Order: sequence, then C-alpha cells, then structure tokens
Amino acid sequence: MNHFVRNMLVIARRDFLSIVATPTFLLFLLAPLFMIGLGAIGGLGASQLADSARGAGRIVALADAADIEALRSADQRLRAALAGRGAPPTLLIRVAAPGDDPRAVMREKGSDTYAVMQGPLAAPAIVEQEAGSRSGRYLALLADAAMRDRAAGTVAPVEARFESVATGGTSVAAQQSMGFGAVFTIFLLTLLLAGQAVGMLAEEKGNKVIEILAAAVPLESVFLGKLLGLLGVAILFIAFWSAMAVGGGFIAATQMDPAAVAAANAASPAAAALGAAPATGWAFFIAICFAYFVMEFLLLGAVFLGVGAQAGTVREIQMLSLPITIFQVGMFSLSAAAASAPGTTLATVAQIFPFSSPLAMAARAATDGDHAVHLLALGWQALWVGLVILLSVRLFRSGVLSGGGGWKFWRGTARAQGDSPALR
Amino acid sequence: MTDYSVEATGLSKDFGGFKAVDGVSLQVPSGSIYGVLGPNGAGKTTSLRMTLGIIDPDAGQSRLLGGHAPRAVRHRIGYLPEERGLYPGMKAREAIAFMGALRGLDWREGRRRAAAFMGELGLERVVDEKIRKMSKGMAQMIQLIGSIVHAPDLIVLDEPFSGLDPVNQERLEMLVRRERDRGATILFSTHVMAHAERLCDRIAIIARSQRRFEGSVDDARALLPMQVRYTPRGDADADAIAALLPAGAERRGDAWYFPVDDTAIEPLLARITASGFGVAGLSIARPGLHDAFVHIVRQVDAAFDADATSDAVEEAAA
Repeated sequence: MNHFVRNMLVIARRDFLSIVATPTFLLFLLAPLFMIGLGAIGGLGASQLADSARGAGRIVALADAADIEALRSADQRLRAALAGRGAPPTLLIRVAAPGDDPRAVMREKGSDTYAVMQGPLAAPAIVEQEAGSRSGRYLALLADAAMRDRAAGTVAPVEARFESVATGGTSVAAQQSMGFGAVFTIFLLTLLLAGQAVGMLAEEKGNKVIEILAAAVPLESVFLGKLLGLLGVAILFIAFWSAMAVGGGFIAATQMDPAAVAAANAASPAAAALGAAPATGWAFFIAICFAYFVMEFLLLGAVFLGVGAQAGTVREIQMLSLPITIFQVGMFSLSAAAASAPGTTLATVAQIFPFSSPLAMAARAATDGDHAVHLLALGWQALWVGLVILLSVRLFRSGVLSGGGGWKFWRGTARAQGDSPALR
Repeated sequence: MTDYSVEATGLSKDFGGFKAVDGVSLQVPSGSIYGVLGPNGAGKTTSLRMTLGIIDPDAGQSRLLGGHAPRAVRHRIGYLPEERGLYPGMKAREAIAFMGALRGLDWREGRRRAAAFMGELGLERVVDEKIRKMSKGMAQMIQLIGSIVHAPDLIVLDEPFSGLDPVNQERLEMLVRRERDRGATILFSTHVMAHAERLCDRIAIIARSQRRFEGSVDDARALLPMQVRYTPRGDADADAIAALLPAGAERRGDAWYFPVDDTAIEPLLARITASGFGVAGLSIARPGLHDAFVHIVRQVDAAFDADATSDAVEEAAA
C-alpha cells in the first residue's frame, strides 16, 4: 500500500471512529425514527382532515317525489363507474317544496354544499359554488341519466366480461417513476449526509491539529481521508436502516397469514410496481444507484469540504449551509427534470454536468438498458472528484495554511498588511 | 565533507505586504542539535514551516535529509508545531499512535512505543486518559512523544519548552539529547537562551525577518568581550584605580566592572599586580548567550530604527 493511500486510510479511520464512537452518533442514527414518527403523525392528521373534509362536502338535488327513485338509481350506477379519486361528493336528494331556495340550501351550516339542482329533470337549474365545477356537471349528468333511464324503460343490467391483458415489459411511465425515485433517494441521502462535510476541517483548525496533518501527510490525502470517513458513516447509516427494513419485513412476513399476504399483494399497487423492472434490471440498477450515491456524495462532499475549509469561524460555516442546500436542491431539480424527459438535451446536460451527473445517470439506468455508459459516467465523475479535491487543497494551502494571499470568494482579496501568519 | 540534514537557502515569505521572512538560510549538520533563536515575531516559525514544506516560500528552497524535497521525506521527520494541537477526545496512547501512523508507523507498534515513552517520562498513569482531561503541559509532552514515536531522522520542534514546568523542561532536554544520541538531527526554535546554551551545537539568530548570526554558541558569545569583575584590597583611591583600568570601567560598591579584549587580559593582570592595590576578588568571564543575543538584536533594531528615521527625513525633504 503506498504512502498516500495509507495516510488517507489513517485519516478516514480516525474520522470514522471519532464520529461513530460517540453518544451523539446514536441520536444521528435514530434520527429517521423521529422523521418517520413525525411524518406518520402528520400524515395521519392530514388523512383524517381530508376524510373529514370529504365527508362534510355534499351535492343536493331538490327533486319531485316521482324523480327521486330514478335519481337514486342513476347515482348508484354513475358513482360505481366514478369510484376512487374521481368520485363525486355525497348526494343528498330532497323532495322539492314550493319556495325552496337553492342558495339557502348552499348556505346551510354543517356541511359544504358544492352544488344544488332544482327543477324538472329535463331542464334543471343548477347553482354551484364554483362556475364549471365537477359537482355541477355531475348533477347535470345525473338528471340526464335519470331521464334516459325513464325513457328506455326496464332494461336488463349489462353483464360485462372483463379480461386483463399484459402488454409485456414495464411501461415507460413506470420506469421514469423508478428513475425519479432513484434521483430522489440519492438526493435525500446526500442532503442528509454530505452537507456535514462543510464543517469537517473546522475541528482540525480549531484544535490546531491541521498543522500536524499538513506537516505529516499530503493535504490531498487529508481531504480524501476525511471524505472517506464521512462516507463510511453514511454507508453505516444506510446499512443500518436497510437491515432494519429487511429485518422488519422478514419478521412481519413470518407473523402474518401467508394467504392474507398473498391477497394483499395481489390487490396492492405497490406490489404491481415491484413487478415492474428498470431497463437495466433490478440487480444492476440497485448496484449502480449505490455507486452513483457514492459518487454524488464524494462530489458534493468534496465541494463542501473545500468551501468549508476556507471558512474561518463556526459562524461562517453556519452561513454556508443555506447556499449549500440551495445548490443541492438545484442539482436535484435539474436531475428530476432529466428523469422525466429521458433522451432530451436537458437530460444529456444533466448527465454531463458533473454535480448532477450521478443523479441524472441513476435516472437513466431506469429507462435505458445500456450498461457500458455507466462505466464512462463513473470515470467522468471520479475525475471530477479528483479535480475538486486538488482545487480545494490548492486554495486551502495558499489561502489558509499560508495565512494570506489566497482566494476567499466571500472575502475578496489578500489579507491586511502584517496579518498574523498563524494557521487558522 | 559535512553532511547536512537541512539545507534551506534564501527562504522568503511575504504576508500581504509584510515581509515575514527575508532570505533566511539554514544549514543543519546531520546528528547535531541546532537552535533557531530570535525575538517574538522575528520569523522563526515561518522559516521552520517553509523549511518543512508546510507552506510554500515566495523565494528560496529547502532540501532535507540528503537533498530531498521536504514533502518527499515527510515520514522521516518529526514535527512539534508552535501551536499545540491534539484531538481532545482521543486517549493519550491513541493520539501518539495516530501521529505515528501518519508517518507510516504501524498502529500496534505505535501504541506499544507510546506506552514505553510515557513510562520513561513518568506519564504511565495517563496512558489511557483522554487528552481533554490532561493539563496543558502534560498534553504538550504527549504531543512531543507523538512527534518522535516513529524514530524520525529529523526532529523539528517549534518553541518546545514554552508552557512546560522546570521538571518537564528537564525531561524534554533529556529527550532531545537522547534523540541526538540515537542519530537524529534536532532543529528547534526558542527565545529562551538557557536551553539553547545547554543543548545546541550550533545556532542561528533571526531578527527582523533575516538571519543575523550563524555559528556555535561559543562563536556567539565571542562577539562580546570578556567581562571582568575586580575588587581591590583595602581602601584604595578610586581615581587611581580608574586610571589603572580600561576606559568605561564602572564601580558598583567595592567592585569594578569592565569589558576587556582577549588579548588585553595578561597586560591588565600585570598592571593590577604592579599597582599594589591588591586583589580581594577577580573574575574574568565570557558573557552568556543571553547577552550575545541581546547585543545582536539591539544592533539590528538600532540599524532598523536608523534606516526608518533616514527614510522619514528623506520623505519629508521630498
């Protein structure tokens, strides 16, 4: 093993252990539990609110007594066809009385009334909350269906025969969704983990170890070692939660009735999605997504480490967190757009631009079956990791280690005359 | 032919218009203890950093351990920086092993040597103590051990004695001598002359960013004449005695103090003997390094002030 690699591993080992062997790391490791818990509570609340809002809304038909049965029957039939998200609000049918005012019905307390229909079915008057609303259109459709039913007389219900036909392979839309999922997952993990790199040299600068490191080993190996240490922490984090998920799934599977699980799987859209496959195949897709996560982590981490190394104080490091987050979101947006438009110029730009390349290429792995291009992309990204590290080290050496004359983008030019040459 | 472990020539560094180091050269013979002396802010630390390749000089170059570029022989160098730095969360043994590992020493061997060194220095009870729980002096000793644990060929210590109590200073001197005896070359900076006087084979004095002296401690002391302290016997006439002694002799109590050149000692003794004033006390001694250092630095300051005054006069005239 040559000096450079050995030095890098010494630094990585120290950083990894200094992070992992602390009580704070436990909090860091379990942080997603809080996220999941709070998300579940929030989701439950939002769901209840949505249910309650759905239940509170209604549409009203003020109809002659003779039309009530026809309206009810038509509503039953139409509602069955519009089940799911397109289902209209609950229909309330009232016998019309002279002097009924649809506007008064709209204003009745206790529920939101989206539309009220009044008058003969052939020419109903519909008052609605919003012009051109779906509720108003539905009431008109209801009157029309009731009229047609009456005109047609008694007709035997249609006995339709349904047959599902698989078109073969996974749909493009499903693969694009997988691509987006990969982009989002890698983005989320790097957002959570790589941002920490910005303050990684603050410790060494604060306790003056940096001069010992700079005297003992190449700064490039210090930077790379620190990145590797942090990457190790990130991989430990991912491995822990992956193991938890797999273990949890396994335990759940052994505790459940196999027949019930099979039935649930058959009915579940998620199970259907799992039946789909990315263009490169699941095994390759998962492996290459992991490789792209590593590359994205190293690329962004190298940038953040380099920028953070220029910061002189903790406050400066804190100030950097906003531009860093914006930069990451920018890369995510570019890559997400590329994932939804494979084969376009935008996608190509995102795949070539080094900092969005891992995300965009992960999306490409979902929709394009070519394997070789990923090797090229990984090489391209690794080259940029090296370039960013070299640039960061150069700036650090000239700007921070030499105590002046270096480039600090938020400070401008050289330091004042007679400024201390001490390492900061 | 002398073999040099450090050959730095014409090192210069400018910090935003301030010339911190101006053409400093250092030649440190292998196997010697070499002191870089100078007042605060003279440029010692910057010179050492450039010598080791921690910072790049604006001009000049440094070659170490047989003509190598400093960064090429990092693993053969031990360095204790002026600003002490250790990871506070690390245990002493681990911190030393870590510093050794940075220079290529196996972790396990580093831990073993760390315990041995600490035992020799009476620090065995804090082997597994975290750095943050240690006193400043103790942490400094840990860092010093860390800088020599890999048995380097060149040891560079920047103000190693500052912050140490007299007992630890003594231990450090012992350690420095032992490392020299092992065959290592030691280069250290200090502004405490006593350590340099006791330890150094050769010294360089840096003042106002430039090297002002290079040589042995005795060479430095020889820059000043011998100092004589003479006490006549009985109540002799002061004017008569003053006439006997060199010009500038100063009387303090019964004793007379005055400098004398090496060549003038015997004639002086002959005059005193012949005068009949007698000798109640007589000491002839070479001034210490402290005096030589102060003499050199004062000369430099005086020349600098004179230059500044002359510049100001020229500016005013213009």
